[in-house]
Amino acid sequence: MIKCLYQTIKIDYYYSVNSFLYVLKKLPILRDLFTNDIYQGKWIKNITGVFGVILSLLRAICFKLLYYFVIYAICTKFFPKNVASSFTHIYFFLTILGLFINNKLLNTGKKKYFSLIVFQMDGTKFFRASLLWNIFTNILLNSLVMYIIGYSLLKLSIVSCIFLVLFTISCRIVGEKLNIMFYRKYHYIWYSNTTIYFMIVGLLFGCCFTPFIPFMIPFEIIEIISLFMIIMAIFSLISLFQIDDYFYLYKQIQSHVNMMSSKNEDDYLRQIMVDVKEKDIKIDEKILEQKKGYDLFNTIFFQRHREILMTSAKKYAFVLVALYVCLIYVSIHYSNYHNMIDQVLHYKLAFFIIIMFFINRGSIITRAMFFNCDHAMLQYNFYREPDVMLGLFKKRLVTVFFVNLIPACVVGLGNSILLVLSSNWTILEIVTTFLFILSLSAFFSVHYLVIYYLLQPYNIQMEMKKIGYSIATIVTYVISFSLKDLVLSSFVLSIYGVVLVGIYIALGLWLVYKIAPITFKLN
Amino acid sequence: MKLEVIELSKSYGKKEVLKDVNITFEEGKIYGLLGRNGAGKTTFFNCLNRDVFVDEGRFYLDDEFGRNPLQTHDIGYILATPVVPEFLTGREFIQFFIDINKERIKDLKDVDYYFNLVQLKKEDQNILLKDYSHGMKNKIQILIHIIANPKVILLDEPLTSLDIIVQEEMKSLLKKMKKDHIIIFSTHILELAMDLCDELVILSHKKLEIMDKNSISSKKQKDHIIQVLKDDKND
Repeated sequence: MIKCLYQTIKIDYYYSVNSFLYVLKKLPILRDLFTNDIYQGKWIKNITGVFGVILSLLRAICFKLLYYFVIYAICTKFFPKNVASSFTHIYFFLTILGLFINNKLLNTGKKKYFSLIVFQMDGTKFFRASLLWNIFTNILLNSLVMYIIGYSLLKLSIVSCIFLVLFTISCRIVGEKLNIMFYRKYHYIWYSNTTIYFMIVGLLFGCCFTPFIPFMIPFEIIEIISLFMIIMAIFSLISLFQIDDYFYLYKQIQSHVNMMSSKNEDDYLRQIMVDVKEKDIKIDEKILEQKKGYDLFNTIFFQRHREILMTSAKKYAFVLVALYVCLIYVSIHYSNYHNMIDQVLHYKLAFFIIIMFFINRGSIITRAMFFNCDHAMLQYNFYREPDVMLGLFKKRLVTVFFVNLIPACVVGLGNSILLVLSSNWTILEIVTTFLFILSLSAFFSVHYLVIYYLLQPYNIQMEMKKIGYSIATIVTYVISFSLKDLVLSSFVLSIYGVVLVGIYIALGLWLVYKIAPITFKLN
Repeated sequence: MKLEVIELSKSYGKKEVLKDVNITFEEGKIYGLLGRNGAGKTTFFNCLNRDVFVDEGRFYLDDEFGRNPLQTHDIGYILATPVVPEFLTGREFIQFFIDINKERIKDLKDVDYYFNLVQLKKEDQNILLKDYSHGMKNKIQILIHIIANPKVILLDEPLTSLDIIVQEEMKSLLKKMKKDHIIIFSTHILELAMDLCDELVILSHKKLEIMDKNSISSKKQKDHIIQVLKDDKND
């Protein structure tokens, strides 16, 4: 088992080092200096390796520290009198949430595929080694960070800290066991069922907010539950160590995600992103009845991919609803935050430019378009004719706009409610604020689609290769970010917004008609 | 050595792909599994390799150790498009594979010996698999199965997208390997199956049926196979 763990880490190490050298070899000046012999050079591999190990160690610690620190910061801001108890309360429920969603053993990652299928490692040894490695790294990281935050900052007793760390580890182990049990019984991983997933995540995430009521779970109860979980974890661990068919279990999960029937591993990874859901294959005939030409083509595409396209937008909308509920609560109960929110909504509405940049689902939608449609269609010359491109572009623009409308409406409505809660609001302000958000959503929808058509970033192997697209995205981000402090009234901003979107749509249509037939092709 | 498939059935939802399949494959032969697109060739391989849940069926390997249930380490499954860890060099990949499987590899040879076997040049051995051509990746994939030396080798349309030279190299490699193995080669190209395989296995009407290649060399017999396959789709 130790040997198996050593080999896994060693492969992982070589893989990371080579990936890093590969990137180095692509950089402008360095690519002339390095030849393929770079992969044989021991010293450069050792230096890169040591550097990589330190970096990944630091990254793991920083992420864990950030996770704890965010909870700590929330508690000090909102519950300054009960920092320790509110921290343990939120930590407790988030850890239970982790029990459900943070499972590693049934994950079907690339590295696991290589270890088990390609390198043909012993499945049982690999399973046990991975399990112990996960426990070991979790104990190490959680203990370190709990010492910094729990013991030093929160002044929790060392026994309480140990209890919390053990509780975390126990939840992980029990979670793995429950996940495997569920899979054996129902032949699918529970969180692939979106309804159950959202219900559990929503409920447990909701419990994290009960300190606002205020209700905090007493530490004595946490200790009792921790004890129970520790006992459960011992039994789970014994049971997990008795599993001797992990290899078959893994293979069956893999085949569920079509690994074996996929053309290659990269295609497989991409299929996950753009996999058409079975229930979406059948389209209601009434929807298609009146459609013709590009409209029909686009409608079929949208209907077949509605789950992929809509899920992401719905997820964002769901998170935004939760966020706005918090903001409304804060606005009602805390006068200083109330004033801050007022200021932003009345005078710094431009702050939402960067927010809408992040919320927009344009990149996901264009990716689905390329992988599941344009990749094949671009092989036909007729598809690249200016009229065809323009016709489809118009239809797609409407689709992208409607998908993005879901999170945009949440933001618009949320802002409207927050405005109503403020002391000085007018109907005009609410309407213009809402309009501004919609115009931003429309702007980014057009923008993502235009840069997709003009800078088509994927090659025939479906890899994102063109740097122009990435640069355009970065530039958009920089501009959006730099505008965040712009002070203008919502009325002026909404007028600017609508005019800008109008101009951009006209410009986009012209550019697509003139330039896209040359640029929108298979690289 | 024999591979026995007994009463294998597999459905995807309501769609029945394989039904009560009973067949025996023998050592020293290359079997050409012929069937139309979507007939269930890959499903048959996935069942043997236990990549999917089998509705019913048992698989046995009858060799010098007796008649035992088929294990996955008895099988080498070669995919149409090879899956390799792209950020390892060819040499690193083979070296790691040997290190991991050292204990079960019989008659272990030097890494260079294996590379010579598939005619992979020295300068190509130290570049990333990411930069390998499709044919080179395929060679690497076959190479690890040569090293692991499983008793049963399943090949899922592996020659389809290779150039003529690599195709010929692969064919000669498979012919060399067949002596101690059971090789099942899936394809939908009749000429390829006729050229390479010793026996043809026709997958039609959810069943597998072995046909003696010598008896089907005439045009009349080829037409018969095509007719059987046509009937399968028309059902």
